Amino acid sequence: MADENSLGAILRAQGVSRRGFLKFCSAMAALMALPPSMVPAIAAALDKALRPSVIWLSFQECTGCTESLTRSHTPTLEALIFDAISLDYHHTLQAASGEAAEAARAEAMKKFYGKYLLVVDGSIPTKDGGVYSTIAGMSNLDMLQEAAKGAAAIMAVGTCAAFGGIPHANPNPTGAVAVSDIIKDKPIINVSGCPPIPVVITGVLAHYLTFGTLPELDDLGRPKVFYGESIHDRCYRRPFYDQGKFAKTFDDEGARNGWCLFELGCKGPTTFNACATTKWNQGTSFPIESGHGCLGCSEPNFWDAGSFYQALSTPITPVGKAAAVAAAAGIVGGAAIAMHNRHVKGAAKSEHQTVTVKDLEK
Amino acid sequence: MTASLERGLNAFREVMDAPIASFFNSCVHCGLCADACLFHTETGDPKYTPIHKLEPLRKLWKREYTLLGKLTSLLGLGATISDEELEEWSPLVYDSCTLCGRCTLMCPVGNDITYMIRKMREGMAASGHAPAGLIDATRRSIELGSPMGIKPKTFMARVHEQQEETGIEIPVDKAGADYMAIMSSMEIMGYPEYLGSLARIFKQAGISWTVSSEAFEATNSGIQIGVSDLAREIVMRIVTVSEKLGVKYVISPECGHAFTALRWDGPNLIGRPYKFEVVHILELLDQLLKDGRLKTEGKTAESLTLHDPCQIVRRGGIVAEPRNLINMVASDFREMEDAGVYNWCCGGGGGVSAITRAEELRFTVFKIKKRQIENTGAGTMITACANCRNVLEEGLEHYNMDTKMIGITELVAEYLKKDEP
Repeated sequence: MADENSLGAILRAQGVSRRGFLKFCSAMAALMALPPSMVPAIAAALDKALRPSVIWLSFQECTGCTESLTRSHTPTLEALIFDAISLDYHHTLQAASGEAAEAARAEAMKKFYGKYLLVVDGSIPTKDGGVYSTIAGMSNLDMLQEAAKGAAAIMAVGTCAAFGGIPHANPNPTGAVAVSDIIKDKPIINVSGCPPIPVVITGVLAHYLTFGTLPELDDLGRPKVFYGESIHDRCYRRPFYDQGKFAKTFDDEGARNGWCLFELGCKGPTTFNACATTKWNQGTSFPIESGHGCLGCSEPNFWDAGSFYQALSTPITPVGKAAAVAAAAGIVGGAAIAMHNRHVKGAAKSEHQTVTVKDLEK
Repeated sequence: MTASLERGLNAFREVMDAPIASFFNSCVHCGLCADACLFHTETGDPKYTPIHKLEPLRKLWKREYTLLGKLTSLLGLGATISDEELEEWSPLVYDSCTLCGRCTLMCPVGNDITYMIRKMREGMAASGHAPAGLIDATRRSIELGSPMGIKPKTFMARVHEQQEETGIEIPVDKAGADYMAIMSSMEIMGYPEYLGSLARIFKQAGISWTVSSEAFEATNSGIQIGVSDLAREIVMRIVTVSEKLGVKYVISPECGHAFTALRWDGPNLIGRPYKFEVVHILELLDQLLKDGRLKTEGKTAESLTLHDPCQIVRRGGIVAEPRNLINMVASDFREMEDAGVYNWCCGGGGGVSAITRAEELRFTVFKIKKRQIENTGAGTMITACANCRNVLEEGLEHYNMDTKMIGITELVAEYLKKDEP
């Protein structure tokens, strides 16, 4: 039997059966695209894992990410796992306040120096010395830099922390930036989404607990297992796209028939996330299933990517003069080459001598 | 005796259209077409990679139709195409390509390699690099009216013979008939029972039809050798006669390339739409079946499998029809591996069966068909193409296999409901 502080012991104390635990491990293995043979390994690792210290910093944000993670109607296994990590500082959830709260943070940072996992939600304002968001009189910028020093790794939860998100949107009055814009010397994993899917957060945690490393990341620093495929590629409405059947308004025949929402501005084709597979609200549905196109919330600059209701093929900003000139030059150049090629082909055609059977041999 | 390199290169320039240019441009050299081609899988020789068979044409495209190529050839550095090179490529463009279209289907960027080979043959033929066997077949087509040298007299003899055999009148040159049936020379020579089967089925279904004493040959050697001028002349014979007789439909025989030539290439060759419709015999039979005009009784207990002819299935889209017909008269029908649009070629299409020097290669690549047939364990193989049937029969004999062969039309005719007295 493992340590009484181990995850397995804690889960058992909370009445989670061995069977329930293994089910969770299998689901995690499947979600993380690991072979089934890895399930026992995950179970063993999770069972023995000691509660790792987690410090959760909330900066310029709306608390939606924390809401997403915590607001489950019944305490799910994910929620229990979350209870089972040692969440030493989370100013929305913790009971302590004021100096006691800050003291808890300082203590955790000292005690677990180099080992704790730093979770950040919200962007960091940098303009005017970072005065636009402060906690306990300390700017977010300073707090992040201080907390990052002793962190083993940083998880940027939500699009604000991962890419700047809505605070970063044009005109960005506070100079908001992402975690990765400030911290350069720590492994950072971006769990984007506005908010991210709860199981994606717990999935990354489970991976970290099992292997002690971060999962494989894509070019935007997101775990490939959850962000490897576009919403479009996994969408149950995809066959309608392939057949060219599109809803043109939200209440036309096509919308009622459940056709593709591409022309109503769905950003599914350019958005990478797991919504279409894991779904939301304990697997109930995801936005497209409710009849609304994807907003692209897990992608950088989604707020500035034009109207949510404009089809992806429409340009979002007026074409600039230079671009227009370049395009015109390209067209002229292309036309000149095409004319020349047409001339070559035309000349060949006019030189064509009818081939008869007598012309087949030399 | 007027074929020349210059005429060949000119033909290359002539066929260079937007699809070919974009195909060459978009090839990502992934090599997937190699594993799609039976000449590559059965020999393991990389020279049979489909896109490689187009190398001379690609060279010309690069040299004369791309900016970089134009500049390098201005500097005298561009690759040139010689007679020797075309001679070396002749077996790749003719002997080892049946225009089966499997590479086209597999190409991840959608390049129609088959289309390009067909176009490349224009230049190969005009430069005198077409194989002798195919030249002879084409000459007979033009001069005698059929690649196998069948003259109208021979055909009429077949008609009378089948009339006697079945006791049913076969209308000849009947103006105003709804359908005009044509045949491939392989059917006329080897499988004349096809004609008798048609007579029996059409009598039961009450179809108004005819054959022509002038335009009876459906095979188009012009397409196979790659000379549009000759292909046009051959298609025109059928067009002229069927429009003169005023038929509504021309029935393409089972033969695959005849169907492709008449249905898809024909209107493009003559530069206008037909005044009639082309239906494949399998499409017609399936339609009759759906309309309740084709009635059969009994089923064969013999284990059957089906060889899907490339031009009918992959290039022609007729997949469900033969299966509907077979299931109507067979109780033990076994699908072959990769059946339907992914089926493997018999190895003798696209004119290859007319090329004498390709015989050994044909038997080598037949091994894939052999494996497919053996895996089904079926005793009889059905096909819907007289050329496939002939090539398959030769292959079966070469490998001492005792699989029997039958055409679909004959199979259906065998189980036709007997006339009520």
